[in-house]
Amino acid sequence: MANGFLFDVRVIELGDEKGDFCGKLFAGAGADVIKVEPPGGSPSRQIGPFYKDTPDPERSLYFWHYNLAKRGITLDYASPQGLELLRKLIGNATVLLDTTPLDTLENLGLDWTALQKINPGLVYVRITPFGRSGPWRDFKATDLVHLALGGEMMLCGYDPRPDGVYDTPPIAPQMWHAWHITGNQAFIAAIAALFARADTGVGDMIDIPVHQAVSVCTEVDIPYWIYAKTACLRQTGRHGFPVIGPPSQHKAKNGRYCNVVANPFPGGRETMIQFLRELGLQGDLDDDKYKDPANLVGFEFVQHFAQVQAQAVAAFDAEDLWRKAQDRGIPWVPVRHPEENLDDEQWKTRGTFGDVHHPELGETLRYAIAPTRAEECPWRMGPRAPLIGEHNEAVFCGELGLSRDELRRLKEARVI
Amino acid sequence: MRPLQGVRILDLTWLLAGAGGPRLLAALGAEVIRLEWRDRLDFLRYSPPVIPVEGATESRREMKSVNRGGLFNDNNPGKRSFSLNMAHPKGKEIFKRLVTLSDVVVESFRADAMTKWGLGYEVLRSLKPDIIYVQQSGWGHKGPYWKYASYGPIAQGISGLTDQSGLPEPYPPAGWGYSYMDWSGAYYTAISMLLALYYKKRTGKGQYIDGSQIEPAIFMTGTAILDYLVNGRHWQRTGNRAPYKPAAPHGAYRCEGADRWIAIAVSSDAEWRALVAEMGTPAWARDPKFATLATRIINQDELDARISEWTRSQEPFALQDRLQKAGIAAGVCQTSQDRVERDPQLKHLKWLIPLPNAEVGTWPIKDVPFHFTRATVDQGGPIGRASPCYGEDNDYVYGELLKMSKEQRAQLEQEGVI
Repeated sequence: MANGFLFDVRVIELGDEKGDFCGKLFAGAGADVIKVEPPGGSPSRQIGPFYKDTPDPERSLYFWHYNLAKRGITLDYASPQGLELLRKLIGNATVLLDTTPLDTLENLGLDWTALQKINPGLVYVRITPFGRSGPWRDFKATDLVHLALGGEMMLCGYDPRPDGVYDTPPIAPQMWHAWHITGNQAFIAAIAALFARADTGVGDMIDIPVHQAVSVCTEVDIPYWIYAKTACLRQTGRHGFPVIGPPSQHKAKNGRYCNVVANPFPGGRETMIQFLRELGLQGDLDDDKYKDPANLVGFEFVQHFAQVQAQAVAAFDAEDLWRKAQDRGIPWVPVRHPEENLDDEQWKTRGTFGDVHHPELGETLRYAIAPTRAEECPWRMGPRAPLIGEHNEAVFCGELGLSRDELRRLKEARVI
Repeated sequence: MRPLQGVRILDLTWLLAGAGGPRLLAALGAEVIRLEWRDRLDFLRYSPPVIPVEGATESRREMKSVNRGGLFNDNNPGKRSFSLNMAHPKGKEIFKRLVTLSDVVVESFRADAMTKWGLGYEVLRSLKPDIIYVQQSGWGHKGPYWKYASYGPIAQGISGLTDQSGLPEPYPPAGWGYSYMDWSGAYYTAISMLLALYYKKRTGKGQYIDGSQIEPAIFMTGTAILDYLVNGRHWQRTGNRAPYKPAAPHGAYRCEGADRWIAIAVSSDAEWRALVAEMGTPAWARDPKFATLATRIINQDELDARISEWTRSQEPFALQDRLQKAGIAAGVCQTSQDRVERDPQLKHLKWLIPLPNAEVGTWPIKDVPFHFTRATVDQGGPIGRASPCYGEDNDYVYGELLKMSKEQRAQLEQEGVI
């Protein structure tokens, strides 16, 4: 019976790292994703880090994570024989996920009109850096450049000096968020198109410019500009806002950090003061002057309150205090390294991580596999990312009907 | 025709991590009916920035209306709003009738809120066997932390995303300057609903999805987790540099003007030669220590200082256009003003769409970034509106959907149910 949300969906994935994450979502949700790599392997196999720090296209941890549960074939579809095979693959697919350079398929005679002739039900997901038209159509971009143009960087970084001058640059959060942001939104659009197709049998072409996807993924800065013509200022470890607010990231005793709520909502502050009192770390907040509610508001108090919280955080190691705070409804957390979530009971209970076997290594590695918890349709836990051309025979012979001899000849001709 | 035409979503979400999910499905054509109650409103309804309306000059404190929060208007376009008091027994009965008329129930309360109301998945399913119930809480319903609170910075802090952003030690983490995981949480609220709708279309089966705001963040840190498992490496920040896809220069460089910066990424020696030519081939750039990508990476501190000396007297957009023309990936660190008023590509893509709200009038709203060729998709949704005023669609919900008479409604209003 059906296994996974997208049990009857087949995806052909063409292109580079811009589509890796979107394809991963399809595969995780149960679709059969066939990643088409050039002979020799996808360029995204060159992205590190690498297994045992040895660069090799079969050892990219980036590739492993972002291509989990996909199948992999190699094909030079710019060659006449290769193009014929690509047309067949597209004919058998539900979704074509394409992040190739602009005009790649058009130049091969596979524009949207031609694609519909091959497969009227095709959902064609076209991700390009800036869109297929417009003044910046041919601009070059990377993850960094997209996060700059999209507005993320101007919001991320460190407080300015007291005189208001920034002596540190805007920061692009690592790693690969332009592709995450785009992949999530492309996936959303694609499933909606699949939903419509289930009734009509007719597909659609969806353009997703990375620049637009990234530009709409900021939060308060655009409304602040539209409604108040006010810019948001970037601030260490907290929201960019029109004014520099109280710090909310404090150093713990062990040198690590915690994120706290600097300015809790009404009601939340009393809970927090009570918690600090239990720890004996309420500072001067029990002084008579704070019995007057007028002294519990305003910029000066909020700054002072943040300092009291900072002292409380500094008295403990980062992992020691936060659960006690959370038990009282206070949202504090340690700033963890990613790997520090591996052993947390919450994620073990929920199956956020899953074990994936690598037969070549004789090893089983723990992957982050489940962005949600769905018992009816669990996220797929493997198999591990494909080796270069691992499924050539299964796909070209098993599904497209080539003989082994033909496969061998195509391989010799560097078509696959 | 819109892809999700005919789908009805009973929306109990708020803020952005929840509310952003149904927002996207409204753009895709679902009918989203947002349940609200005056005693416990989404506080973004009255938070700054306040939407200015003609003749009104009052500050935030004096703002009486719950329909003028700028963030709310951006988070809920394309939805309808109706008022319903879930604490009242009759309110729950009305809610149950609406469940039978809906495809999806979605909420982003704390994990036990619905069961406390006696409206857990089992109850919803007994009302409508193929109902889809998406629960998007902070930490997830299953697990020891189900009671814990989360919002954007909390999800980013615990997951590792905050730690992954910023300059190397001894600088602290820079984190995210906004609730990235509110938007990403919203994406997974949308993804959960859509995947379940597709599955139901193919199998006839509904389901319950226990989503959280934090797991999608963990999902995005997977490479660093593998690096730790196989190489024993704890995450270390590298600022704007690119240790995993070698490039140099690779960073944000100061330009002319107050706090103006340009991001430049040079991944190949050909791009480097183009950049050197744009700089006028200065003597330092001919030093062999900058000749290849490998040596530029080794000498990156000096390289960055040299590049900054050059960029700091340049107007950022002119420099961007010049470098792009020379085939170099470069882009200004754009502000909100740049994107709204200047960016010619976003303008070309029509990224802001004018949408009306009954009280504040028509304002530009961020449209969805996917352009369908055949289907109609835009952020106004089937009703072509910005965010709803509180209870704006009571007539629709109580009149058209539930077919209540005026007298019945007047009675319920009197009892404090609607």
